[in-house]
Amino acid sequence: MNHPETRGTIFLEDAEVLSHQAHPGDQYLLRIQAPECAAAARPGAFVHLKCDPQLPMRRPISIMRVDAKSGWVDLLYKAVGEGTRLLAQRRPGEHLSTLGPIGKPFEVHGERPRVLLIGGGVGMPPMVFLASSLRPAGGHTPWAPLVILGSEVPFPFQPRPSQILVPGLPPAVIAAMPLLDDWGIPNRLASLQGYPGCFDGYVTDLARHWLESLDDQARGQVEVFACGPHPMLAAVARLAREFALPCQVSLEEYMACGLGGCAGCVVQVDTPKGPAMKRVCVDGPVFDAYQVFS
Amino acid sequence: MITANDPRLEMEFCGMRFGTPLVLLSGCVGFGEEYTRVKGFSNRDAGAVCLKGTTLEPRLGNQPHRVYETPAGMLNAIGLQNPGVDFVVRDILPTLDFSETRFIANVSGSTVEEYYEVTRRFDDSPIDAMEINISCPNVKEGGVAFGNDPQMSARVVAACRRATSKPLIVKLSPNQTDIAANARGCLEAGGDAFSVINTLMGMAIDLDSRTPVIGNNQGGLSGPAIKPIALLKVHQVYQVCREHRVPIIGQGGVQSARDALEFLIAGASAVGLGTALFYDPLICKTINAGICDYLGRHGLSHVSQLTGSLRLHERPPVVCGC
Ligand SMILES: Cc1cc2nc3c(=O)[nH]c(=O)nc-3n(C[C@H](O)[C@H](O)[C@H](O)COP(=O)(O)O)c2cc1C
Ligand code: FES
Repeated sequence: MNHPETRGTIFLEDAEVLSHQAHPGDQYLLRIQAPECAAAARPGAFVHLKCDPQLPMRRPISIMRVDAKSGWVDLLYKAVGEGTRLLAQRRPGEHLSTLGPIGKPFEVHGERPRVLLIGGGVGMPPMVFLASSLRPAGGHTPWAPLVILGSEVPFPFQPRPSQILVPGLPPAVIAAMPLLDDWGIPNRLASLQGYPGCFDGYVTDLARHWLESLDDQARGQVEVFACGPHPMLAAVARLAREFALPCQVSLEEYMACGLGGCAGCVVQVDTPKGPAMKRVCVDGPVFDAYQVFS
Repeated sequence: MITANDPRLEMEFCGMRFGTPLVLLSGCVGFGEEYTRVKGFSNRDAGAVCLKGTTLEPRLGNQPHRVYETPAGMLNAIGLQNPGVDFVVRDILPTLDFSETRFIANVSGSTVEEYYEVTRRFDDSPIDAMEINISCPNVKEGGVAFGNDPQMSARVVAACRRATSKPLIVKLSPNQTDIAANARGCLEAGGDAFSVINTLMGMAIDLDSRTPVIGNNQGGLSGPAIKPIALLKVHQVYQVCREHRVPIIGQGGVQSARDALEFLIAGASAVGLGTALFYDPLICKTINAGICDYLGRHGLSHVSQLTGSLRLHERPPVVCGC
């Protein structure tokens, strides 16, 4: 256990629930007022939330969007365990003890402007956050991102045909996330559930279509970022390795402190000095995929 | 901003000056500086900070999952992940701000010799004191295997005593029949103080996979669930300590000023906070204020007046609780 690499300030805020929407598949979109967190958060960061007084241990939930000016933070989560099921009952006007922002963020690199973002299920939020930071500002952007989102339950938004052409993808794959489309971020959806306009297959298969359509020079400018279930991340890491692309993945693990103090949240990684246990909360949650999936 | 601690809370513990009676417990606050990233947190709000259990060689620790919330508490099985004593002494201790609080090393090992050697290397460092962890339930050798055997406990303490003249705090396990007898042996072997209690062994089961949730199968139970057990153990150890004026760091499930006061009354001189820091990393401020408030309301001039102030009921000589 080393001292944290990221030394940014973490804020404890009593955050008001501004809105809380239920979506099919036990998915919830939660907006809280946490201005200090909103101002400091970077894509990849999460908040450590007290879901209910009955369960005083916090739950880590990744950040999907922030608005530094208005001070809100958007979270998308799936009610899977006791904590998140209790969280789902919180109503607007109630307050949630919020610790954040926590975690080492994603790092994009200027020499690899073709940023491929792959999000599966509850792994979508960090990809949306990262995409928001790649938005064209004033019509101009150095980034050429592509976001691929996958879900096996209905998407927690109404997909719509994309206004943005993405060369190299099957022409029938047109479904997109409106928010990303409105930001001018090329994006497509994938599912095995036969949702209209979505790619019928895994996110990694759709990503492969795109990667294979690029010439060598363009492919050399790709960096992959992913968040989602472990098997999906393993598949993304395999794909990245096959195309020799750098790849960052965001991981999840049960947490206690969320501050690097308990070593309760580790993942085993390969380092030049041999295997090491890294804390997902402060050494991650973003890791080099090659260190995690060897 | 430097806030002066309340003089009613300042105290001496084994010759060390504690700014408050609160101690941040081993394994919950890493190597002392992790929580300082939280706005409003200060190590000054605690009298001492116990560093993570440290062994002679680096340890990777157990496979995940390592922590899991249970009713009114949590299980943990970290497996003493630490970078080894030499790294701690050379690379971590120099980064700590000793002007803020006292730093206490948590000495762990698999053999008596390892405890001796780790203590010896901390002796030759700026560390303020050593806590001997003979009660870790999450490692195969050493730890609780030593702590539950009074003779082994005493041997470990005697070995550490030979290695240092700094204060030695013996951390006792609740997973044993007669904690008072063990405490007596450890005192004779040279212990200066006690930490009471470490975690209790427990298990949680995943119904889908029918496997234990914790990677190590079993783990240490901490948090409010263990508080009544911890209070009784502190009371029992205090009976041994009182006449020798040996102080106790009472711990196990403290999450409010009220809990802390109960531990002081049961016989503790200082009160440890572990799991409660996961609930609220700024809890020290609240608890310090709550203790001061109680002192004021009860016309007490210093927190030490509470230690062991428990008044037992007159009772018939029956030990059975049924
Ligand atoms: C995650 C975790 C890690 C711990 N690691 C250690 C350790 O390395 N050495 C030790 O002596 N006690 C360790 N403990 C025990 C605590 O220091 C403390 O004695 C116990 O948790 C009871 O206090 P609490 O209920 O306030 O947490 C650990 C406890 C937790 C929860
Ligand atoms: S949750 Fe405590 S170190 Fe990550």
